[in-house]
Amino acid sequence: MLNTGIYKDVFEQALYSLSDNKLRSILSILGIAVGIGAVMAVGSVTEGVRDYVYQELESYGIRTIWIFRDPEEIKNPNRAVRQGSGISTEDYEFLRSSKTCCPAVRRVTPQVYWAEQKPVRVNGVNYLLNLEGVGVEYLTINNDQLEQGRNLTNNDIERRNPVAILGPTAAEELYGKTGPMGKSFRYFDQKYTVIGVLKRKSRQIIEQVNADTYDTNKRILIPYTNLQAILGSKDIHTLLGEAESLEASVDAMDQVRTALERRYSGRFTYKTENMQKWIDNAENYINKLRLTGLSFAALALFVGGMGIMNIMSTSVIERTREIGIRKALGAQYEDIRFQFLMEATAVSTIGGVIGLVLGIFATYVIGFSTGYDFRPSWMIGIIAISVSAIVGMMSGFFPSRHAARMNPVDALRHE
Amino acid sequence: MILLQDVSKTYYLGEASVPVLKHVTLQIKQGEFVAIMGPSGSGKSTLMNIIGCLDVADSGRYLLAGTAIEHMTESQLATIRNRYIGFVFQSFNLIPRVSALRNVELPMIYAGIDPEVRRHRALTALQIVGLRDRAEHTGARMSGGQQQRVAIARALVNNPQVIIADEPTGALDSHTGQEIMKLFQQLNTNGKTIVMVTHENEIAAFAQRILFVRDGMVTETRLEHITGKSNIGA
Ligand SMILES: Nc1ncnc2c1ncn2[C@@H]1O[C@H](COP(=O)(O)OP(=O)(O)OP(=O)(O)O)[C@@H](O)[C@H]1O
Ligand SMILES: [Mg+2]
Repeated sequence: MLNTGIYKDVFEQALYSLSDNKLRSILSILGIAVGIGAVMAVGSVTEGVRDYVYQELESYGIRTIWIFRDPEEIKNPNRAVRQGSGISTEDYEFLRSSKTCCPAVRRVTPQVYWAEQKPVRVNGVNYLLNLEGVGVEYLTINNDQLEQGRNLTNNDIERRNPVAILGPTAAEELYGKTGPMGKSFRYFDQKYTVIGVLKRKSRQIIEQVNADTYDTNKRILIPYTNLQAILGSKDIHTLLGEAESLEASVDAMDQVRTALERRYSGRFTYKTENMQKWIDNAENYINKLRLTGLSFAALALFVGGMGIMNIMSTSVIERTREIGIRKALGAQYEDIRFQFLMEATAVSTIGGVIGLVLGIFATYVIGFSTGYDFRPSWMIGIIAISVSAIVGMMSGFFPSRHAARMNPVDALRHE
Repeated sequence: MILLQDVSKTYYLGEASVPVLKHVTLQIKQGEFVAIMGPSGSGKSTLMNIIGCLDVADSGRYLLAGTAIEHMTESQLATIRNRYIGFVFQSFNLIPRVSALRNVELPMIYAGIDPEVRRHRALTALQIVGLRDRAEHTGARMSGGQQQRVAIARALVNNPQVIIADEPTGALDSHTGQEIMKLFQQLNTNGKTIVMVTHENEIAAFAQRILFVRDGMVTETRLEHITGKSNIGA
């Protein structure tokens, strides 16, 4: 029979056995505190990193899908096979206007590239930048906002107007600190006018987690029809689409691919991509971060746990006579077991609470020194405290069993 | 109240066997105050441990208040110790560092009694032994006689039928020993059965009956017969 009246008794005894073995107690509590602190900090920081990653991925349009012809096919030495991009302006117009082919797709836009980077010239100086031919929906799909100016219009597309929207880094490279709006640059033999500048996108974490290498702030966007005219072809290299949701993006990719394959009776094969790969990269990175931190935490907790086990074993032996007295007074096996288990748990939880404070502090310090706003997570805090209690119970398992199994007569004869 | 029939107990030390109690039969009635005497190593404490349900005999029968003890589990023995028996030891055996009050509360904690009731009853028990004003003192701050009184309060607090006292005055000066014995006598007058081991005739004189243990056997005796037996109190 276990009873609750024992709590105060147990707590007092826990404090006594702590003060009996001061040095060992401090070291063990420190071990637990460091371990729990690490659990708290690692947990909070990785959760913070994940939030940042998803925010950044979101800023790129997390529902985005890409469809393009299989690059292997385009490299094929047989000229007849490698001919063409497999997607034409008509295909795009069809996908854009068809109500039935691709229900999981909200909108699409074409992307046209020049295979090699050709220089953009301002006042006779050449710059190598990423020039893309795009449609009016491009900004929406990509979750791009304009810092200044306007988007491309259907009119720009139809008339192949030589107008351009610049990424913020591209704008700085071309025109320095002077305002880019209304300025111009030369590309091939055309003169383009800047009609807009994009808002800067954070890519700090995404670069860190190796989710992407393309610098989105260095883009120059022009009407795809304009670039097609330069290239002398009606090819579209990539279709950029927006699915109803990240989950729906798998269906969306299938629907667009199937529609294209049907239109060409299977002549071309297509590749599709969604944000999943980026998310996977990011998750991988986060998991590595967490694993490293948690291995360290586990080591500290193990050391602390062993320390507590040691304190408890010593305490049980030193208090053999006391155990005998308690048994003579009618303590049950469970009473003694509970007492020593709770003592170990109390010691460990004291370490856990100290660790929690350390971890909260460490979370802010890490955030401050890396320039991120990391917040301690209460969820992780609850987990951390539970872990410290569990470590305590595990450390108390054998010592408490030893105590509870003692024979009362022998225990009472103990000096 | 206490009925031992043909009880034997042997200790084994490696190969050697030490028979301590040999076919002991004895009876102690409710309300009796019995002293157990005998030379050192004769088996008095062993007998007390069996009577107190701290230990079990190898063979024989033991009836305590009509209940057969010999086949009980550890857990049942603990419950019996908690409800029927109060222990007083030679070395007081208070839990170190905790207050007199907490010590007296312990048997009630194991009995699962409510905190308020517990506190009230512990204070009453301390009152009986004359130490109510020392409730918050720890053992280290009390004299031997006071510690033994706390131990007696602790032994009384669950209102047991039997007090088992193994040399309760062994660590006290004779004056203090006498005072403890007066307390025992008072408890006995109020109906407690008391079984006490002692080496001292003046202490045994407080009992109504004396059992003498020698070579593992128990015989009824009288103080006059013991006087002059040289090996007592060795
Ligand atoms: N746990 C044990 N293991 C082995 N031998 C034991 C054990 N307990 C007691 N003995 C032996 O049993 C014998 C009786 O011991 P017991 O303690 O009952 O004697 P006692 O009459 O109480 O002696 P004293 O007057 O010195 O207290 C002794 O020889 C002792 O050495
Ligand atoms: Mg003895």
